[in-house]
Amino acid sequence: MPRLLSTKTVPYLLLAPSLIVLLSLVLYPMGFALINSFRFWNLQTSPTPVSFVGFDNYKMVFTTTPFLAALKNTVVLSVLATCAQFCLGMGIALLLYTNLRGMSVVRALLIMPVSVAPIVVGFLFRYLFAPEGGLLIWLLKGVGFPVPPQGMLGNANTALLSIGMADTWEWTPFFAIVLYAALLNSPQEIIDAARSDGANKLSMLWYIFLPMVKPIAAFLIMIRFMQLFNSFDLVYVLTGGGPGTASRTLSFNLYQEGLVNYNIGLTAAMTWIIVIIVAVIINIYTMVVFRGQEW
Amino acid sequence: MNKKHAFTRRDFLRMTGAVGGALAVGAIPALEVGAAPPPRRSAQATETVNVLTVGDPWDLALQTVTEQFTEETGIEVKIESLGYVALQARLVNAFLTKTADADVVAVDQMWISQYADNGWIRSLDDYIKADSDTEIDDFLPEVLYSLSTWRGSMWTLPIAAYAQGIMYRTDLFEEAGLDPLPASTADAEDWTWEQYFDMVADLNGMEMGGEEFFGTVVIGAQPVPIVHMFTQLSARYGTRWFENFPEAPWDFTPTINSPENVAALTDWKKLYEMAPPESINYLWFDAGTRFSQGDIGMFFHWTPYFYLVNNEGYLSGKPSPVVDKFKTAVLPTLAADGPQVVSLGGWSLGMPSTSANQDAAWQFIKWATGADGQKAMGLADTKGYQFADFGRKSLYEDASLRKIYPFLDTQMEMMVLGDGKVVRPPMPIYTSLEAVYGLQINEAMSGAATPEAALETTDMLFNNILTGNQMIPYNIESYDDTLENTVALIEELSA
Amino acid sequence: MRTTTRQKIFIYLLIALTLVVFVGPILWFVMLAFRAPGDTYSNPPTFFFKPTFESFYVTFINPGNNAAQLRNSLIVSTRTIMLSLPFSLAAAYSLSRYRIRAKRFVMMWYIGLWMAPPIVFIIPYFILMTWIGWAGSYQAMIVLLQTITIPFSIWLLKSFLDEMPFELEEAALVDGASRLQAFVRITLPLALPGIIVTSIFAFVFSWNNVLFPLVLSKQATATLPVGAISFFASTGIYWNQIAATAVVTMLPPMVIFLVLGRYVVRGLTFGAVKG
Repeated sequence: MPRLLSTKTVPYLLLAPSLIVLLSLVLYPMGFALINSFRFWNLQTSPTPVSFVGFDNYKMVFTTTPFLAALKNTVVLSVLATCAQFCLGMGIALLLYTNLRGMSVVRALLIMPVSVAPIVVGFLFRYLFAPEGGLLIWLLKGVGFPVPPQGMLGNANTALLSIGMADTWEWTPFFAIVLYAALLNSPQEIIDAARSDGANKLSMLWYIFLPMVKPIAAFLIMIRFMQLFNSFDLVYVLTGGGPGTASRTLSFNLYQEGLVNYNIGLTAAMTWIIVIIVAVIINIYTMVVFRGQEW
Repeated sequence: MNKKHAFTRRDFLRMTGAVGGALAVGAIPALEVGAAPPPRRSAQATETVNVLTVGDPWDLALQTVTEQFTEETGIEVKIESLGYVALQARLVNAFLTKTADADVVAVDQMWISQYADNGWIRSLDDYIKADSDTEIDDFLPEVLYSLSTWRGSMWTLPIAAYAQGIMYRTDLFEEAGLDPLPASTADAEDWTWEQYFDMVADLNGMEMGGEEFFGTVVIGAQPVPIVHMFTQLSARYGTRWFENFPEAPWDFTPTINSPENVAALTDWKKLYEMAPPESINYLWFDAGTRFSQGDIGMFFHWTPYFYLVNNEGYLSGKPSPVVDKFKTAVLPTLAADGPQVVSLGGWSLGMPSTSANQDAAWQFIKWATGADGQKAMGLADTKGYQFADFGRKSLYEDASLRKIYPFLDTQMEMMVLGDGKVVRPPMPIYTSLEAVYGLQINEAMSGAATPEAALETTDMLFNNILTGNQMIPYNIESYDDTLENTVALIEELSA
Repeated sequence: MRTTTRQKIFIYLLIALTLVVFVGPILWFVMLAFRAPGDTYSNPPTFFFKPTFESFYVTFINPGNNAAQLRNSLIVSTRTIMLSLPFSLAAAYSLSRYRIRAKRFVMMWYIGLWMAPPIVFIIPYFILMTWIGWAGSYQAMIVLLQTITIPFSIWLLKSFLDEMPFELEEAALVDGASRLQAFVRITLPLALPGIIVTSIFAFVFSWNNVLFPLVLSKQATATLPVGAISFFASTGIYWNQIAATAVVTMLPPMVIFLVLGRYVVRGLTFGAVKG
């Protein structure tokens, strides 16, 4: 032990390369965005930056793009889909936890959606949601769901819901298998004790199972929430942010301004606004989730 | 599951195998230099032009006939076709780096101004002057005006020109007791949009052969597709985007929120009520496919759909159910308010200023946009004849083409009434404006906003975008961009 | 827990429903890839049809535009992990074996980075890669993918290293081996399974990534997901070909996840849950 700790510099030398690489990978775009957020630079009118414009670009984020609508959609999508995934996932985990015969096979099969690239999930659901002849539309109509005449992806009330459904399909099994693992890793004695005390199902769930998976669930929820917050692939393939701005997310808004309209200055300003929002969320969350964690 | 994950030997072998396999596959190509271009087939002597195109219908016809060009000139052609957004990203990218990514590029009419102003493409004036066999005066001036000119120069040559026109079901018209629509403006003196709306209303909900019909179909997807169709309707009401453009002096103060445009948008909603509800999401081809599936009475669209709707689906090779049951017609004119302004759009070929291969590139542009190349494209049978988007007068007279494409007269009349600089003005930040405009029309269409509110928002956004992009006030020199000036340019170049 | 037969049946019914919901759509999509082009939709849906390999033939053999993309996907993903592994292994070893000031902060920074929206990197890099002449190259994508693979690999590798007994290395050091020798002879062989698992997951992340290739590749370097997107043409959506390409895209990650079964939980939670 003492010899391993004898050098003070070695650990930092080992850590340095990855830190330097990642820092430079991050600092460059942040710096680029910071400088250009104060310049007028639209690639459609000039190949190089034109002039200093103060905070005009930051203003333009709100006056020329549906930023607030996108922010609202992003938050709604992230919160609701994360909740849905956690609840469904917990339910499936408890089903698996009955440990009836064959559950290990079920668990293995449930991994399949998780491995599918989000963009492929987008294709899959666009096919399932096709207004004429999509399987899911056919099923939804069959069970009496009021499928809007414009189709699920074309209606302002259901477009975001449909994106959420696709994401939930992919990631519910992820919650299920991880929470199942968490249940298996929990002390069996507590559960048995509670059962023998005659606790009913609901109080078992509330007082035993949920507290047992809490640390892991908090971690999962954080990861998924942020991934949903950054949603781009599904939106790109499923709705293109429409109809109107009904399903436009922050990432898609940035993409539209940057790579369709090529207003680099405006995009840079929007980048900083989004980065600040994300940083605040991550920091609040990590303070809560990782409080007191040992490293 | 509960076991500590001690690795078994078998796990280990299984995994090493998997990784080893993946690494081996990845490592072999890894020996090449990073992004070296794929090796050319024969590096010897033969010249090659690299062409970047867009996956539009004309692209396929072009790909089928380039062999003829190679036979005639000995120049090989390598075509890479991309999606619309990918193509623009790729071009902007190549232009910024000044890399010779391609020798010939497909240019949307909306990109001409920025490419020209940024010096990304080369003016073709000198080439055209030097080669009288370009026969520049064979092109319809309206087509060159709309697709290829900017600030008094010819930057590209048109490869596919689109006007708009009407397609309608003859059998349904007969059933409804309606007269056939005029195929020529000569018979269209009293053919008005009011009548158009009345007919759509008559057809809507009709039943024939056990099929219930929609009066029409619209292209409703935001942001770009909807603008293509809506602007054609709104131009009829006299809507103009800006205070003064394309005539000098340019003043980009938006005039989009006018009583005329509110009326247009209100009528657009009426049209949508007589169309399939899901068409709020329709892209260009969705509307065409819907018509060719046979439950739509009539609609207007870009002229390539005059032939595209003959097929069940693009490239399916199967004739559609409507193949002998529809006819094409001219858009309504308004005797009282003067002539109809027809949307004129399309693609043209340009030469990046970085191309190292300019002579070969010019040869290819001249051939592909020339009468021979265009005719070959029109005659190419690519699972059905699928190219009639001619910009040259002579091809509209060509007997063999007229036989395949019986609608050519109608199409040419629409081209002659076409004005690509008014219906969708191709100024440098057009795409940014189109993006918010399309979104707002779509909002009005879905009922999320009233037409008045949608256009008010559009006007505000236009103002913000134009001011933010330093287009209001406009401090750069204007150019009096009129059809007369293009006619004069054509004369000068063909002298 | 004692479960009655009726409860059992109920549970199995729920499980069956779960499987239909989560596995069914995948099978439905695979079926699409084997359908004939005119047979994309039918109402009501048909499960029986004459399978054809036409879509695979068109996409991967003749003209086979997607075959090159399959190769590109392999190149990008393998080179990405080869580049990120040395960086992440060194960092993970350091974080696992040494007492480091601000360790918590560093770890949080890594995971925070992993959760940052990838889209914000794209536009500055689109410009940068253009300036330095890397636009459209493999390097451009590989370098950017490091923002995903390095943080992930460090976390997962650290969790594997944390579990390895310290004592063996100690013993080697006592026997006079240098730290490097101890690492190469003792730690590395023991950590190899963990390294492989980590690499495979990193491989899947880069394989499934679409945003970076979408913007940073050109036709010669485009990866499979980009190829699938291009079937959304302005002339129509080629569903059968999308499905064929998508099936080939999802196959490797799926096989990997099924084979690695019990490591999946651990991999997807950055080693936070041991599974």
